[in-house]
Amino acid sequence: MESNIKIFPKSVVCEESTLRGDITFSSGCVVHPSATIIAEAGPIIIGENCIVEEYATITHRLQPGASWDVNKILSIGGHNVFEVGCNVEASRIGDKNVFESKCYVGSGVSVSSGCVIGAGIQICMAQQLPENTIVYGQQALQREAIEKQGSQTLQIDFLRKVLPNYHHLRKPNYDPKKARSVV
Amino acid sequence: MEIADTYYSKDEYVETASGNKVSRHTVLCGSQNIVLNGKVIVQSGAIIRGDLANVRAGRYCVISKNSVIRPPYKQFSKGIAFFPMHIGDHVFIGEGAVVSAATIGSFVYIGKNAIIGRRCTLKDCCVIEDGAVLPPETNVSSYMRYTAKGTIEGGQGNPYFVPAAMQDEMVNYTKSFYEHFVRTPAPAS
Repeated sequence: MESNIKIFPKSVVCEESTLRGDITFSSGCVVHPSATIIAEAGPIIIGENCIVEEYATITHRLQPGASWDVNKILSIGGHNVFEVGCNVEASRIGDKNVFESKCYVGSGVSVSSGCVIGAGIQICMAQQLPENTIVYGQQALQREAIEKQGSQTLQIDFLRKVLPNYHHLRKPNYDPKKARSVV
Repeated sequence: MEIADTYYSKDEYVETASGNKVSRHTVLCGSQNIVLNGKVIVQSGAIIRGDLANVRAGRYCVISKNSVIRPPYKQFSKGIAFFPMHIGDHVFIGEGAVVSAATIGSFVYIGKNAIIGRRCTLKDCCVIEDGAVLPPETNVSSYMRYTAKGTIEGGQGNPYFVPAAMQDEMVNYTKSFYEHFVRTPAPAS
């Protein structure tokens, strides 16, 4: 499988992360060391200001019998947080979601916007999570959020300052302005 | 009870002058901010995020495979701050645990795949069961057991959940773990 990774300016992607396939990081993304993103079935496009922490795994998994399809894009919205050790194979991800530590979201789950998947929760059945759903507790109960999630921009600002001091980064290699001027 | 020997290959682990045994397959970020006070075992796949804030671990700690030690953060109106993390002596952190506690006392046992939320405080001699999930800012007092169900049980003088001799048991356990974590003997040639 050929790796084709596009990184927009202002995003911080650590070199020690595992990236396979066709992946696009929009500006302002932060990828911590030893995070894993695998685009097996088609390209992954990650929206602005997403955080992917250690041991988090985002997979665009190949269904049995299917093959690589350029048009089958897994589009992940902006402002999502993938915390330590989460494993996300969802078919669609909107904006401002939080996937807490060690949660599992199976393929066929469609996550809209503003959702929080609690720590250690496993969602395997194909379903659609409505906006602002919170999945919590031992029985993985679902309810609607009473108040909106706080934004993660402060954390991103901090990480963008600190991570370059300690890690080797993959260089941003795609500038939308330059790309336009070439055309 | 004696623990069986665990062997590691010479190439895999580095032993420091103070007796720390650190695997080469770990991710120690910001190593200048990580203090291991001696005889600490850090097994392969463990991640310690010293780049976010200082991390201190006392003597005879065991940080098992694939666990993540990550200093907690708190959001203020003006930006966020990561707080330094302190781990006491004789602390065992199980495989795959995610620890974001503010402080961990001494003689603490954290089970496999436990998740310790941001800014939790774990006092001396407490037990976190395997797979337990602690919400952020939880306090677990001394001699308490945080179960996988999410309840806090026990208390001082109640030996059904945490043994009364927890301190001695953890000292023995971590010491013998260290002593039985030995290099594979070179094949006699």
